[in-house]
Parts: sequence; C-alpha cells; structure tokens
Amino acid sequence: MLELRDVAKGYASGAQTVQAVDGVSLTLGAGEFVALYGPSGSGKTTLLLLAAGIAAPDRGSVVFEGRDLGTLSEREASSYRLHDVGFVFQSFHLIPHTTALDNATIKLTGAGDTLRDARQTALPWLERVGLADRVGHTPEQLSMGERQRVAIARALAGEPRLLLADEPTGNLDSERSAEILALMSEVAHERGIPALVATHDPEAAHHVDRVLTIRDGRLVNAEADSTQVDSTEVDGAEVESAPAPS
Amino acid sequence: MRLTTNPRIAGVRLSMLGHLYRVRLRSHAVQELLAGSGIAVGVALVLGVLVANSSLTGSAGELVHDVIGTARLQVVARSQQGFDQGLAPVAQRLAGVRVAAPVLRANAAIVGPRGRTGIQLFGATEVAVKLGGLGRTVLSQHNAQGFLFLPASVAEAIGTRAGENVTVLAMGHAQTLRVGAVFGSGAGGGALASSPIAVVPLALAQSLTGLTNRITQIYVEPQPGADSRVRAELRRVAGAGLDVEPADHELKLLEQAARPNNQSTELFAAISVMVGFLLALNAMLLTVPERRRFVADLRMQGYDWRQILVLLAFQAFALGLLASAAGVLLGDLLSHAFLHRVPAYLITAFPVGGSEILRPGTVLIALGCGVLATMLASLSPALDLRPSRPTDAALLDREGGSEVIAHRTTVQLALLGAASVAVITAVVLIEPRLTIAGGVALAVTTLAAIPALFAMLARGLRWTGERVRSSALIVVVSELRATTTRAVALAGIAALAVYGSVAIGGARDDLLRGLDANFSEYLQTADVWVTTGGNDLTTNSFAPDGLAARLSRVPAVSSVRTYQGGFLDVGERRMWVIARPAGDTPQVPESQLLHGSEASASRLLRRGPWAIVSAGFADEHHLVVGRAFTLPTPTGPARLSVAAITTNLGWAPGAITLGQGEYQRLWRSRDPSALEIRLRPGSSPAAARQSILRALGPRPGLGVQTFAERQSQYEADSRQGLEALSQIATLLLIAAALAVASALSAAIWQRRARLASLKIQGYSTAQLWRALLLESAVVLGVGCGVGAAFGIYGHALAARWLRISTGFPAPFTVGLPGVFLTLGLLAIIALTVISLPGLAAARAPARTSFQE
Repeated sequence: MLELRDVAKGYASGAQTVQAVDGVSLTLGAGEFVALYGPSGSGKTTLLLLAAGIAAPDRGSVVFEGRDLGTLSEREASSYRLHDVGFVFQSFHLIPHTTALDNATIKLTGAGDTLRDARQTALPWLERVGLADRVGHTPEQLSMGERQRVAIARALAGEPRLLLADEPTGNLDSERSAEILALMSEVAHERGIPALVATHDPEAAHHVDRVLTIRDGRLVNAEADSTQVDSTEVDGAEVESAPAPS
Repeated sequence: MRLTTNPRIAGVRLSMLGHLYRVRLRSHAVQELLAGSGIAVGVALVLGVLVANSSLTGSAGELVHDVIGTARLQVVARSQQGFDQGLAPVAQRLAGVRVAAPVLRANAAIVGPRGRTGIQLFGATEVAVKLGGLGRTVLSQHNAQGFLFLPASVAEAIGTRAGENVTVLAMGHAQTLRVGAVFGSGAGGGALASSPIAVVPLALAQSLTGLTNRITQIYVEPQPGADSRVRAELRRVAGAGLDVEPADHELKLLEQAARPNNQSTELFAAISVMVGFLLALNAMLLTVPERRRFVADLRMQGYDWRQILVLLAFQAFALGLLASAAGVLLGDLLSHAFLHRVPAYLITAFPVGGSEILRPGTVLIALGCGVLATMLASLSPALDLRPSRPTDAALLDREGGSEVIAHRTTVQLALLGAASVAVITAVVLIEPRLTIAGGVALAVTTLAAIPALFAMLARGLRWTGERVRSSALIVVVSELRATTTRAVALAGIAALAVYGSVAIGGARDDLLRGLDANFSEYLQTADVWVTTGGNDLTTNSFAPDGLAARLSRVPAVSSVRTYQGGFLDVGERRMWVIARPAGDTPQVPESQLLHGSEASASRLLRRGPWAIVSAGFADEHHLVVGRAFTLPTPTGPARLSVAAITTNLGWAPGAITLGQGEYQRLWRSRDPSALEIRLRPGSSPAAARQSILRALGPRPGLGVQTFAERQSQYEADSRQGLEALSQIATLLLIAAALAVASALSAAIWQRRARLASLKIQGYSTAQLWRALLLESAVVLGVGCGVGAAFGIYGHALAARWLRISTGFPAPFTVGLPGVFLTLGLLAIIALTVISLPGLAAARAPARTSFQE
C-alpha cells in the first residue's frame, strides 16, 4: 500500500518558491490502478517523484508498505527504486545504442541478475507490449511509441511492487494506448500492486479503478472513485469518465 | 557624409559574427575555456617538440655562420696538432682571395668560481675582423691582447664576469687568464651568447695549447666569382695532408652526427603532432552538442546553410586562433624549461650551443594544427546541414553528436590496419632507412586497430556479463556497444602516447644497454685513466712530458700505457679515431664486433696497415673484411685494409681503430690523449688515484679517474645525451594522460542525465561510479593495449634501424617492466583524474534526468 499524508513539495525559482505539491493526501491500496489527471505544471510528475523516492517531501510523509520514504538514506532509496518500483518515464530514459531487450534488463542486472537470466525474464514482457520482433533493435531504430513500450517492459520486468507511470501512452496511438493501459491494469490486479499513472489520455479513465485530478498542487477530487466522477478536466478538455473495470 | 563599411560574408555581417561569438563566450564561457585549454595544451605539445627538434642543428647553423662571417671556404687540419701558420699568408696571396684568416680551434675546459665547463677555444688574429663574423663581434670591439672573451652562457655557468680571473685547461696545460669581456649578454645575444666558444688572440691560443705557430683552420673569403679557382689553388698549396672544404662544412658533419638523435626526435614530434591534434579535436568535440542545438535553432529561424557554415567557421577559427596562440606561449615555456639541453657527447666534437630557435615556420605549424583541429571538429555540427537531416535533428538526438562507427567500417579499418602493418614491415625490411617513416605510419595504424579492439572487448565483456553478476559490467557493456568516434579518439590519444613511449623508450633502453656494455668493455683495459678530463671519447691530446715514466714509479702502478686518439673528418663524417697501445687486450670491444674476430683483428692492427672500421662507414664505402680503402690522414692519403667491422662504438658518425704504430706514423704524433694505468693486484683504485694525482704534480689540466668513475661519467653522459627523448616521452605521456582524463571526464559529465535515469531505476551511486571507472579503464585499456602492442613492434623496428642504419650498439630486448611502467603511469594519472568528476557525475540526483 502507498500512502501520501499531507505531502507538500516546492521548488525554488529565483527568489520565489513554486509549490508543486501542496497538502496532498491519498492512499493506493493493493491492486489498485489509479489515474492522475491534471493540466501541465499541476504537480503530477512531482507526485510521482515523491512516490518513487526520487524527491523528498518538504512536509508530510510518503509511506510505502509501512516505510516512510523520507527517512531512507540515498542507498536505501536506490534499493527501494531498484527492487520495489517500476517507473515509466515520459521521456523513456532508455540507454542509447543498446537493444530493446538489454534496455529492458537494466533493473534486473542492477539487482544482481546475470545478463542471460535478465534477458530470459525481460523477453516475455517485450512480447507482451508487442515488441517481439523488435527486441534486437536499439532506441535509435525504434519509433517513439516503440521506445515507450520498451520503457514499459523495463518497468514491468523488474516485477515491481509499485508501478508508477508518467504519460505512458503519450506517444502511442489509441489502439496501442488501450493495450498498454489494459496491460498495466492487468499487472496491477494480477499481482495486487498499487499503480499510479499520470496522464492526459482520456482513454486511461476506462482502465483505472479510480481517477484523481490535481490542480495547482492540490487534489481536487481526493479519494474519489472514478465511477463517481462525471467528468474530469484534462488540460482544459472535458473528459468523460468511464466505469472502472471490475 | 559618413561612409560606413559593413562587409558581409554569405549575407552575414562581420559585426554580427563578432557579436554572436561574444554572446557565445558570455553564455558558454566555461565550455569555451575547457575546449580552449585542450587546444592550447595540444598546440603547446606540438610547439615544444618541434622547437626541441629544430634547435640543435638550427642553433648550430646560426652559430657556424656567426663564426665564419663572410668566409666561404676553409683549409682545415686533419688533426688537433694543426698545421704551420705560415700557410695563412700564402693563402692570402693567392689570386682571387679577399681574406684568409688563420684560426686555431681546440677543445678546452674553463674553471671559474662556480665550477668547470667545456669550451671550444677560438684563437684568431685581427684579420678575422674582415670576415665580419665572430672576429668582428669580439676582437674589433675589445682590446684583445692577453684577454679571454667568454660567451654569456659560459660566464654564467662558471660564475665569472669581465675583469675576473679564470683558469683555462687545454691539451694538458693550465693557465690563468683575465676575462676581457662577456659577449652576447642581454636580449638578442643570439647563438654566440649560448655557444661554448671562448675567443682569445691567436698567439694566446697557441700558448695555451702548446701549439706554437700552429693553426687548425684558415677561413677564406674568395673574391666574388672566384670560388672554384680559389678552391683549386688552396688544394694545391695545402697539400695532401689538409682538407679544403666549404667554410660551413662543419654543419654537414654535425647533421650527420646528430642524425639518429634528430630522427628519433622527429618520430616523437610526429606523434606529438598527432596527439596534440587529437587533443585539440577532442576538446572541441565537447562543445559539439551545444553547437548542434545552435545550428538547429538558426535553421529554424531561417538561416541558410552558407550562413551557418560561416558562423561555425568563424567561431571555430576565433577559438582555435586564441587557444593556439596561448598554446604557442605555453609550448615556448615548455621548450625553455625542459627540452633545450645539448647532448654532452656532441659538445666534445662540435661547437654547439643551447640557444633555442623559434622559427616563424614552427609557430605557424603549431598554430595551424590548433586551428585546423578546431575547424575540423566544428564540421561535425555542420553535418546536420545535410538535406537529409531534419531541421530539429539535433534537438531530437540526445547523444551529443558522437557518431557511431558502423560495424562495416570497423572491419574495414581493421583490415586496412593489418595491411598497413604488412606493408610497413615489408618496406622497412627492404629499406631500413625508411624506419622512421615506417614508425610514423605505424603510429597512424594504431588508430585503425582501435575500433576493432573495442568491438571485440565489448563482445568479451558482454559474454562475461551474461554469466557474471555485475551491474557495473552491464552498464559498461551498454555504453561500449556503440563504438563512437569520441571513444576511439580518446583511446587513440592513449594509444599514440603509449606507442611513442614504448617504441622510443624501448629503443632508448636498448641503446643505453648497448652503450653501457660497449664503454665498460672499452674502459676495462685500465684501472685508472689519466685524461684531459670531461671528454668521453678521449680525443684531446696533451704533451707527454715524461708523465708515463713518472707515473710508472708510483708504488701501486703496475704499468702505464699511452692511448692515442682524436677526430678525423672523412667526407661528411667526423670519425672517432682510436689508437690503443699495442698491449691493450682487446683492441676493440669484442661485443661490438659485427664481422671478423677480435684475435685476428688485434693481430692485424699491431702489424699494420690495417684498421677496424664501423659498419656505417664500411657500408658507405662498400667495405668488407680484407678489402683495402684510402683514408685521408694528416700526412696524406693512407692505404689501409679492413681487419674487422664493428658497431659505431657509440659515436654516431662512426669509428676507426688503428694500431698505435700506424697512427703515430700517419699522424706524426706521439702525444697521448690518455694514459692507461694498470694497478698492482690488491691495490685500491681510490688510493692509487690519490698517489697518481700527487705524482702528476701541478698539472690541473689533467684529470685522473678510476675505471668506475670513468664508467659512471660515460653512463651519465649517454643518459644526458638521450635526455630530450626521455623528456619528450614523459611529457607526451603526461599530456596524453591528462588529455584522456579531461576528455573522459567531460564526456562523463555530459552523460549525467543518463546516469541519473539509471538512478531512477534504482542504481546506487557506488554502482554507477564503479561502472564509470570500469568504462574509463576499458577505454584506457584499449588505447594502452593497442599502443603497447604496436609500440613493442615499433621498438623492434627501431632497434633494428639503430643497429643497421646507424650502427649503434642496440641489442633488442622487450623491456616489459618499462612497458608496464608506461601503462601504469598513464592509467594511474588518468583514472585518478577521472575518479573525482566520475564520482560527482555518479552522485547526480536522480531528478537530474528530468532537468535535461
């Protein structure tokens, strides 16, 4: 379970401090797949960074399975990300000139697997994201959408206990978006792990258990169930909410 | 009306070019400074080595012309005993002769308050003033009678000045003289100021040397157009025992003597140029990502390709010129501080000084290298101007423009490298004189081998990574999978430096071993040596004065034998002539024999007229053992037969060993140049030395050394003679290590975002730091490995060249400790430098990846 309690995080911008996240509290239960909507600059990514232990809150606490991430040392935070978190970045962060398969193994080898073992683990995930025939290609040879799917496979291959994703479908067509979101949902439910997806994609609402909206660093429909939301503002657009899959 | 000029290039105003560069300097000052520093260091290295390489013969050329003035011919003696000065007025009276100035030159030493140094005594009359050279510089400006005139460098070395007394030691005599003046002090002193030439009136020179009424040269200035006639007339009056040569003939002799040293330095210079070039190129590559974005921005703003090219070229030229100018200053300092000492072995035979020659051409080459490297590196962003590249290619490419070398190119380069090695080997085997060119070609070939080795190593690491649990290894494998031009350039710098150090260092060590063995054998015929001191080749003779008989009465002395020798100019070689006492065994160091046997050669020498000659001389005259040849001697041409052929015995122009009887007959001299003393069994050499010094009495012109002391002097001088090579090798290695380290550090720093993204995946600082160090070690390892392998091969070729082409004693031995020391030094310097920025990059917060 991931729990954020009255979390605040600001960034210095010249003489001023921009409050990216301000007093956010939320809880993600086991197997719960949650979408986080909000306009650009609303604090979505910062919230994910806090959940991943990349950024430390200025106030409040981020607790994952009883551990307060704010109290972790640098080494412990690294270990947390390596073993517990699967993170899909908006900008992929793939290693250039390295095959899709080896990119997908990077967390596994970091955790101590041999490359051979890691490949055996990662290969099925690449197949599941539809890249079976592209495993030997490097990021430079892949389309943006394919790169994004490699990043998703990498996050899932590490068998994380928390799945975080920042615009995972930003570069995919609607059909592929639906597939990816379904896959993430399936993984979250199958494994019973919490998953939080920051997105602009209206399609996401059809796959998640719950939709949250953040604006100016605050959740505007905190702890709302997606089924209770008629519409959600997404970057100024009205998005129809959809019932969560059972 | 105000007239404004606003020149444009490709539609861009010059003022705008300047403005944009000022903007760039303001916004990227640190980046430009880093790139500029790299370029400056590269240019400094190039200039320092070029100056060192050109200074020896360059300054000697300047000096010789300063000495001879307008003289174009000379009559020159074949021995240091010279010839009768009565020939000078005869020459003066010849038709077509404008000036004929008699000169006595002799090797000597001078002792002042601060110590002793070797000089060349130059005795001249007022006639020399007419030639306008050294004579006018010194003799016309000072009241010369009874005084000694010293160049500034000598005066400084021995701590004296005008008006003070010094002691001059010449040909076994010592005399106290007053320094009349110090010439060439202050700026613009030129070659004379740093020369070892001390000027005295001719009569004083004759008195100092004991060569009464003798001279060694007549400098002759013919009337315009009369050179041939005067030369013929001079030959006629000089007779068969003297040479008539161009007045600057000594330069040719020096070039021949210094050739092996110069050629070795040339090889280093070529390698330094390449390293400097790569260094400058690498430094410039650091700015490539930003320049690519700059190009993309300009294209999106509507600039056309010509305008962008002009902008890029202007900025590269400005940076290249400024940085190269700084490099020239740095290189000048470098050559002043390290590379200007004249080899001691040359000073005994030639009047060479330590002045530096910074020619405009040398400066232009160094500047050109820096600017060219900068311009070439700036071409990389221009590749984005290709029609096939999208306008925002640079903005989409996060890899900073470091081009990946395709597998096919890697294979082609490897094949090209292998073919080059084969061709170089074949050429060098067929024509050993092309070894230096082969060495340079081999250095270039090292670069061709690097991509293939990278690919193989990456494959090997990948294989290991598949079986071993090592996150660092996996990161390294990922980074190395793509062999980029930058990685190859970095490894290339290491490879070239290691290649040069191993090849030249190995050959140098071979040479030192060979020289040590040679001189040890050469000296072992005596327990104590009495010489004029300071002269390694024992070529300065002195009056016997019954010394041998006196010394033989010293209780510890078993025997005293007279050793004779000197220099003899044969063609363009200043040959070392050795005439050992008949009782010396061996007559020639046995280890130096190339053809013939020691026993047979010694027997033939004692019988005469036979000679042992060195290989270079033998090759030049197509001589084999038993074949006769004609040697120009002080008594005229002499017919001798070859008893054996040796190495050059450590003297580059070569050596001729004669039986002493033959020497005394041909040179008409019994003056020893050394006394070889054997001690009674059980005598202490040190104690005997003291007894011998006492027995010599007041003869400060002579020095007494035990075998061990003389051997130490030889070893020190031979190492000093090769000091420039050692210094260049060390400088090259340190510069390369720093260059690789700084470029790797910069490359690592540029990858912080990627490292941070690995941190997001959970990699720890320690894991990333280990990976960075391992990756750096791999890059260095590839470069060092290739450099060492090619270096050992280059060393073998160089050793063969030393033996065959130069005749030096240089037995080839792979000096693995030296190789490992070189590799270790480079690796330690580089990895130490890299470790800190590596750690800083590895510590970059995970969120850094979002800020890029």
